[in-house]
Amino acid sequence: MIEISNFKKSYGNEVVVDNVSLLIKKGSIFGFLGQNGAGKTTTMKMAVGITNPDSGDVTIDGKRPTDESSREKIGFMPESAYFYDRLTGLEFISFCGELFKKKMTEKHYEKILKNVGIYEARNKPIRVYSKGMKQRLGFAQAIVNDPEYIFLDEPLDGLDPLGRREIKEIIKTLNKEGRTIFFNSHILYDTEELCNEIGIIHKGKLLYAGNTKEFCEGKPLEEQFIIKITEKLFL
Amino acid sequence: MKNILAISKITFKEAIRDKILYAILAFGILFGLLNLFLAKLALGDMVMIKSFGLAGIYIFGIVITIFLGASIIYKEIEKKTLYFVLSKPVSRSNIIVGKFFGLFAAVAFTTLLMALIYLAVIAYEGGGFDYLGLLAISFQMLEEAFFIAILIFFSSFSAPLTSTISALSLLFIGHLLDVVIKSAEQIGGVLHQIFMFLSVILPNLEKFNLRNLVVHNLSISFETALIVLGYALLYIILLLFCGTLLFKKREL
Repeated sequence: MIEISNFKKSYGNEVVVDNVSLLIKKGSIFGFLGQNGAGKTTTMKMAVGITNPDSGDVTIDGKRPTDESSREKIGFMPESAYFYDRLTGLEFISFCGELFKKKMTEKHYEKILKNVGIYEARNKPIRVYSKGMKQRLGFAQAIVNDPEYIFLDEPLDGLDPLGRREIKEIIKTLNKEGRTIFFNSHILYDTEELCNEIGIIHKGKLLYAGNTKEFCEGKPLEEQFIIKITEKLFL
Repeated sequence: MKNILAISKITFKEAIRDKILYAILAFGILFGLLNLFLAKLALGDMVMIKSFGLAGIYIFGIVITIFLGASIIYKEIEKKTLYFVLSKPVSRSNIIVGKFFGLFAAVAFTTLLMALIYLAVIAYEGGGFDYLGLLAISFQMLEEAFFIAILIFFSSFSAPLTSTISALSLLFIGHLLDVVIKSAEQIGGVLHQIFMFLSVILPNLEKFNLRNLVVHNLSISFETALIVLGYALLYIILLLFCGTLLFKKREL
């Protein structure tokens, strides 16, 4: 279980995340939604221990993510990050695998690259990869250690419809295997399809956290999201 | 240790595949080969040939170090590449130390390539195997390691241009320190005490300069070599430690 309690984060005078608390049950797919700059990425960075919150706490199965042992079971895919461009896809994924205690073989790396659909390009330098291929590689490194908890920051961004469908299928499969998935997105159609739980953040404040169907009230998620955000804007 | 090794390996691979590095290295090697031409002009004067060759290796070694090291940490923060690493069971000190070793391996590799050309030229010109030249190059590699630690230290909290200027200033001061202290000794008074204090804090990079000695076939004692090695290690550890502390405080 991921337990985020009272996250607060400011950059200068600007409060980016304001008292956000979330409880993400083990085995669920949780979609964290919000407009650009709402505080999704900062919340995720704090949840995986890359950024320290000003106040508040997070535990994953009772352990803080800053604890190196708890990172053994975390996978994180950052949003639009650059890679080590002069490495090949296989070298990069092997490097990521080497950072875990668990020993992994080249076959394991190749299997992951096959799963995300970039196996054929495994020996090419990353600099020649398209945006979609880099996105797939980012996804691959997030699952290299067979993590129990997978944090994905805009995983479907930059992918063509076919690529999105493939990644969504992988997310569903991973979830069926019992993994917990926490992902940030502003593509609400996909979120609705994937997530049983959602959280909505607006200007750093949590507007909603709970069941997706309950939030939608029979309407499509995108429509309901716009209604709620607009209500908030005019309040 | 495993993580440090993995980060070093990847840093080395990234550095060694840089096309701009090849260009600088090619100039370095060309400079070394120019020694053959200089040998003709200098009528085989070994002092001249060795001075020219060792100076070339030093200058190109430093240029390569600056090129590879100036933005090493900063670039990874800006491009978010570090997020991939930091979300794994890796500490920030692992990253600093891993980057240091990877970068040093790349710089040492290029320096050794230039050294091979130098040794071949000296042998071709009838100077035999230049053991002392190799010793001077080893000390120079120690200085490069020192310089990488300085660059990583600055890069852990400042932008590449600031890192480069700060590191170059330290390089310049480090080589002038001996001369400045001698002048301050002659002047005496408060100025002397101030410079003596600064000499404790600032690195004295002339300790690594054996070039002027070895071209005249002079060497240093084993004890002196050990002291210089200890001096370099102490400074490098201190710089990497401070770099880690600053990097830990850095907001990502």
